[in-house]
Amino acid sequence: MAEERDSMSPTKIGFGILWSACWTGIPIKAVFAVMAMTLGLVHFEGRFGLAFLMLLASPVTVFAAPAIMAIYDTHFGEGIGLPLIFGASIPIDIWALGLVGRTFFLERLKKEPPHDGLGFAIWWRTALIGTLIMPILWGIVSKVTETAISASHSLADMEALRHIYDTGLPVAERIGLELTVWGSISSAVLFILSVIGVSILGQAIRRIAEDCRQAPENYQGLVTRWDLMRVPNDQGLLLASLAGAGVVFSLVFWTILPVTTPHPHECCAKPEVQAEPVYKPVDALNKNTQRLAAVAAQVEAMEKQKSETKGQKEKGKGKPAGAASSDNSKP
Amino acid sequence: MDIKHSSPAVIPDHQPSTSEKVLAFLDERLGLKEMQAKMLNEPIPGGSRWAYVFGSILLFIFAMQAVTGTMLMFYYVPTADHAYDSTQYIIHDVDYGWFLLSYHFWGSSAMVVCVFAHMSQVFLWGAYKKPRELLWLVGLALFGIVITFGFTGYLLPWDQRAFWATLVGVEILDKTPIVGDFIARFLKGGASPGQMTLSRFFVLHVMILPAALMALAGLHIFLFRVAAPAGPFKGTTEEIKAKTDYFFPRQIWKDIVGMAFVFVGLCALALWEPVVLLDKATPDPGEYHPEPEWYFLFYFQLLRLKLFAGQFGQFMGAVALPVIFMGLLVALPFFDKDPERNIFKRPIALISWIVIMVVIALFTVAAVINREFLD
Repeated sequence: MAEERDSMSPTKIGFGILWSACWTGIPIKAVFAVMAMTLGLVHFEGRFGLAFLMLLASPVTVFAAPAIMAIYDTHFGEGIGLPLIFGASIPIDIWALGLVGRTFFLERLKKEPPHDGLGFAIWWRTALIGTLIMPILWGIVSKVTETAISASHSLADMEALRHIYDTGLPVAERIGLELTVWGSISSAVLFILSVIGVSILGQAIRRIAEDCRQAPENYQGLVTRWDLMRVPNDQGLLLASLAGAGVVFSLVFWTILPVTTPHPHECCAKPEVQAEPVYKPVDALNKNTQRLAAVAAQVEAMEKQKSETKGQKEKGKGKPAGAASSDNSKP
Repeated sequence: MDIKHSSPAVIPDHQPSTSEKVLAFLDERLGLKEMQAKMLNEPIPGGSRWAYVFGSILLFIFAMQAVTGTMLMFYYVPTADHAYDSTQYIIHDVDYGWFLLSYHFWGSSAMVVCVFAHMSQVFLWGAYKKPRELLWLVGLALFGIVITFGFTGYLLPWDQRAFWATLVGVEILDKTPIVGDFIARFLKGGASPGQMTLSRFFVLHVMILPAALMALAGLHIFLFRVAAPAGPFKGTTEEIKAKTDYFFPRQIWKDIVGMAFVFVGLCALALWEPVVLLDKATPDPGEYHPEPEWYFLFYFQLLRLKLFAGQFGQFMGAVALPVIFMGLLVALPFFDKDPERNIFKRPIALISWIVIMVVIALFTVAAVINREFLD
């Protein structure tokens, strides 16, 4: 038992499996993430890099990320797509941890890996440790960073530095100094806590390995079996399946991709286009006919009125002429 | 029938299909099978590795940049009057134009990141040492071409950011003694930046640099095949021999996965942050604070230090420092003659690499923080 414990440190075991498994799963998880982004199910604002790291380390963060978002009221992205992506990552991580675990057990620990369930066994331990440790790590690193930033501000304002520069520390130097101080402290704390977390995981994996028997082959035999473990039984089928999946992904992607930019500039925003009403030729003809009839009736009425007015004028002309002659006849 | 003299490969009564006949015709005249064997059956000591994928990824990114760049050229007009409007047209009126332009934009950043990763891997693995000195030198030239690609392409949208960032870069080059004025005038196409500048940057970006990159990349691959892969820097002879792989299918599979991941990553970046132009370029920067592309930000911040103030300081920072650094890189295979390749047994190399990476990261973040002071 002591010899087994001495053979490889828990940190090396934890890091060796976690690093390989995270990178094994991320190409598949990235496809899901892109589909969710294209559909508009998830939006990453300023924290795209952090969201990527959370997805990369999803064996650890699958339940830790929601816990951190709930406890610290912080967000890595908006939309229903984020929990969907993390949910989809569970079977991917179980597969990746199983594949990496089996090859790691054989090649590095020289142990016969368990036939079934290794992936799930490592996955639930990783998720549990992540859920317990990640929120604590987040809180400590945030607090340490906050304190370090204010300490570095005070350091930059030190009187001693004013002797070097008459007007106090210049902006670029000040930023460099402050960043070096708080960045180093924050990075060191993050590194130490991460190593502790990975070491705890490594110890949990080592306990699984202790129950496994020693692999019987010599080194060449081990490498051959390790190599064949990583190769699918039917390579042709796998390649055809991947090619098919690629074609399907491309078709779906181009179908759902927005044709116009989702972020139009103010200068070039298109006006809202309202759909024109359906043109009905019979109705239009009837309308025009009615209009024509109404206009014709109006014209007729106007002509009639005109002729009446003219007639009245002529009658009116006769009367004043008679009145004028009768006026003229008066002395 | 005498079994010894019969050919085991001949299947009796087998009639070759049309495709087999065509392949046999081409093979007889071009030596296809021999070419295929040489290209694909290359042994990789110590086995295929994910660390070796960056070279193929760079080729893939260049191919994608060429494809998207060609599509953009259908609509882009390289004149000072129409460059901005044609770019806005691509973004707002061409179907999927916004995505193609954003993919092209993020692809340039990906190329710089992968070049750094590839150079770091070669440096840390000691794969620049004898007999791979020429390979290293050609690689440095390719690095310079990639950076120049980013510099020339940045101007083409002709908005305030593009115009003033390029002007800042050209002004830095102007500080080079003796040839600085000539270089600056050549790039600007005259005393002041304008139409001539755009024309020259466009020709450099779409004709001269792609031709140079293809030629040097071909030479780089040829030299790599002549020298053969260096392999891992640790492990016993037995371990390395036991794990020896061939280029096909293992390394090719890893390269394909790497390329697919980069493709998906660039799609995600294009969706997350599509290209958004500022106002059209004007002779007055106004409220805009000129700033180069993100991979030059560390250097931009470095030059803000008081250490590089004044004429002498500016010369030291803008000219002498980068020339000395590039000179060291060029001379590296010739003064580092120690055959040891294990990075953990080369403390100077390891510490130098860590220091450079930390300085780049530190000053890049400092430049981002500095924006708040300027605003």
